[in-house]
Amino acid sequence: MNKDSSRAGQAFHQKLGEIVGAKNVLTDEKATAPYTVDGLTPQAVTYPATTEQVASIVRAANESRTTLIPWGGGSRQESGPCLSAADTVLCLKNMNQIVELDAGNFTVQVQAGIVNDELQKQLAKETFFLPLDPFYTERSTIGGEIAVNANGPRRTMYGLVRDLVLGVTAVTPTGDIVHTGGKTMKNVAGIDLCRMYIGSWGTLGVITEAVLRLFPLPETSAGLYITFPDPEEAFRTVGQLLNSPLTPSAIELADSVAGQNVAEATGSKLNDGEVLLIVNAEGTKDDVGRHRKDIVALAEANRAKTTITLEDEEASRAWKVYRDVHEAMLGDNSSTLQGKASVPISKLGDMYKEAKKISASHGVKTGVTAQCGSGILYTYLTDTPEKLANITGVLKKAAADLSGFFLVESAPLSFRKEVTILPPRNDYRLMRRLKTEFDPKNILNPGRLVGGLR
Amino acid sequence: MMAQNLIKDLTRIVGKENILADLKDQISYSYDATMRQELPDVIVFPRGTAEVQAIMKLAHREKIPAVPRGAGTNLSGGTIPVKGGIILEISRMNRILEINTANRRAVVEPGVVNLDLQNALAPLGYFYPPDPASQKTSTLGGNIGENAGGPLCLRYGVTSKYVFGIEVVLADGEVINIGDYVEDFPGYDLRGLFIGSEGMLGIATKLILHIIPKPEASRTMLAIFDHLENSGQAVSDIISAGIVPEAMELLDQNICRVIEQSVKAGYPTDAAGILLIEVAGLADTLEKQVREISQFCQKNNVRELRIAQTNAERDAIWAGRRGAFGSVARICPPYIVCDGTVPRNKLPEALHKVGEIAEKNKVLIVNVAHAGDGNLHPLILFDVNNPEEEKAAKKAGEDILDACIAMGGTISGEHGIGLEKMKAMRHMFDPADIAAMRKAKHAFDPDDIFNPGKMFPPETETPQPTTGGATH
Repeated sequence: MNKDSSRAGQAFHQKLGEIVGAKNVLTDEKATAPYTVDGLTPQAVTYPATTEQVASIVRAANESRTTLIPWGGGSRQESGPCLSAADTVLCLKNMNQIVELDAGNFTVQVQAGIVNDELQKQLAKETFFLPLDPFYTERSTIGGEIAVNANGPRRTMYGLVRDLVLGVTAVTPTGDIVHTGGKTMKNVAGIDLCRMYIGSWGTLGVITEAVLRLFPLPETSAGLYITFPDPEEAFRTVGQLLNSPLTPSAIELADSVAGQNVAEATGSKLNDGEVLLIVNAEGTKDDVGRHRKDIVALAEANRAKTTITLEDEEASRAWKVYRDVHEAMLGDNSSTLQGKASVPISKLGDMYKEAKKISASHGVKTGVTAQCGSGILYTYLTDTPEKLANITGVLKKAAADLSGFFLVESAPLSFRKEVTILPPRNDYRLMRRLKTEFDPKNILNPGRLVGGLR
Repeated sequence: MMAQNLIKDLTRIVGKENILADLKDQISYSYDATMRQELPDVIVFPRGTAEVQAIMKLAHREKIPAVPRGAGTNLSGGTIPVKGGIILEISRMNRILEINTANRRAVVEPGVVNLDLQNALAPLGYFYPPDPASQKTSTLGGNIGENAGGPLCLRYGVTSKYVFGIEVVLADGEVINIGDYVEDFPGYDLRGLFIGSEGMLGIATKLILHIIPKPEASRTMLAIFDHLENSGQAVSDIISAGIVPEAMELLDQNICRVIEQSVKAGYPTDAAGILLIEVAGLADTLEKQVREISQFCQKNNVRELRIAQTNAERDAIWAGRRGAFGSVARICPPYIVCDGTVPRNKLPEALHKVGEIAEKNKVLIVNVAHAGDGNLHPLILFDVNNPEEEKAAKKAGEDILDACIAMGGTISGEHGIGLEKMKAMRHMFDPADIAAMRKAKHAFDPDDIFNPGKMFPPETETPQPTTGGATH
């Protein structure tokens, strides 16, 4: 860093201190190092307490032409296209309150920095829950989950982030506060900026508050853990299940690498090449009872090896083991690449086969999980950067051949710039225009998302 | 008035049987279901993406306004060509291109009528949940333009949840595909911006829709109440118990009387309000739901609860609701339909307010509501030849929207802003909110070719202090 930019940095840090108080601006390396992202260590970290403070910070950053990196729990920072600069991290961890829980309307308004699990704990006291269950809920914030459009297995029954978020308050990249959406279930007043902010990766604004739809805690729940000797039979079961009037809350699949611990936790075992299918049902006793009966019959008809049915607490415990697979497979992230394929629902079995075949022929250690109701397949590949770069190209092509995408969600820094270029589409020019329209000085998260649009 | 050579150019693109430019045709395309009229210069009926693209290149070169139009059933002035120009009529792009139940997708051209898709899906055991009351005539492209709702949205969600991908022709003629056939795709959710954008960002030429299996069984009930507040409270109680019916529609005495004059639905004409409730799901779960709903109705002093025993009885109950707007139009063609929406537990309070507003402004208001969603549709009736009455009706409409905003609600649940609610936008949003919406519009359509003069209040007006929005 040269002298001029250092002086400019100090002036900006002083401005930050005036906005949020000196104790909420940290510039020493010990404090900033944990916020290193994509190899860039910010010069400062600041912790605003209100939407107004965020707006003042963003306006000041525009004046100083310095870049800001919005930060929730930091769990998804090393995802997608790399940042090109990271002067100051804008961390929302102090904006972690419930603003209003409206029990009669089944909505909650929260500050964006509230951690998902923490919110769920408070909601459970009022017998509600938010059916948003992506990875990392123990540390990821609601604002961050909205920003990265982080969906989880429960999307099968409750829909996507875009169906659960009724409104967001955001600070635009030029420092204006905008209120989008509202508290009502239906709302078509004006252009739907709320949907624009979902999945915008902090590049079009800083989300500071959100209004979310709530659901009453289900009366009961069950998890069916079914092992199949042959993946084809598992995918046939899935096809029949999806073509039925049943409404499971999650339909997950794991290969023998990813699913081994889960199978063992439920008292069964996965041999090489076998797969584990997990089907969750939740709702009234009548509803869950019928799901159990029908799904067991389906599994039997498709020659399942074992079917284990778990209820309530037991089901939650096994589910936790399954949910921990993601981080276990990622390991320390220094040699593992995690990618996500999104293909037409009926092509998921083909994508699974391709992924297994490709990893075998490349000799790359691979674990696979899938969200069967959505056509989503996660792959965890461990090897040298050269081999990973190579296999990524092959997987991208395989997904494209099935009319889908393969995106790298996390990868070792050494080659992220290469592998995170997004697959070609014809709407990137408009996306870049949208970014320029909202962020003419490229202040917010420069390089993220838009940097991968070629 | 449009130069003759441009009409010739357009004729060359679509053929002379697919273009109208006579005064009588201009008049036919000058209005929608609201009460304003503006003449377009020309109406074209493109038959595919390439023709739309050629039309837009011409419009862009000549800076002529272009207004996409489906069946014209829209209720907020969205298709009225306030600045003249070209009406892009999509009714000849009406092919269903693909139905794939294993992928849960239907790919259609935008001119396909909502009900035609439903009819194609029904034999396969599938359906497309958004079911606006206009579904017999309204097009899927139009439904996307307005982000249409409908009774079933209570359980399944509105149009935006069921649109996965859209082929769009932009103002300069560029064709792009936003969203996707698959569920997760890279980049911004431009599709989210486009849905409900009232024809102001571009024109859809192909739609990828999400379809789902039909529920195994359903039960339809009609609950009759002597006090409107009781029916509203029953709705709140049912929702609060965590029961999510497929639909829960409320109709007051006035609308029941009007409906019974043209549709023989068997609605009582002497009751204060009725609730039309339908539950759906697995057959073995419905009895319990019906029992619980009956209990909530009884707790709120229901006079009578009818449960449809046959398909014919079920159809009769629905025919009344579906024919509600048409029945009103038969006795009183000019009416204002409000679309204010409140947090779902505020429905009884909102209905009470509507009653007060009717009294204060001395107008007749009849009420229909998607009660479970808090979405009101008060219809304000007036004599078009009586300017005083018309003024009072408009005032009552504005009062209702303000009341909805004050209750934490919104000025439109499913009909859109169009021309009708441009002024009310100022009551709902800060200038910064509207400025941000304009930025999105500008990114899509920098020259303001698509449906100009809609949604955003004219910038010349002085900003008013606001009371609505997400966090006010």
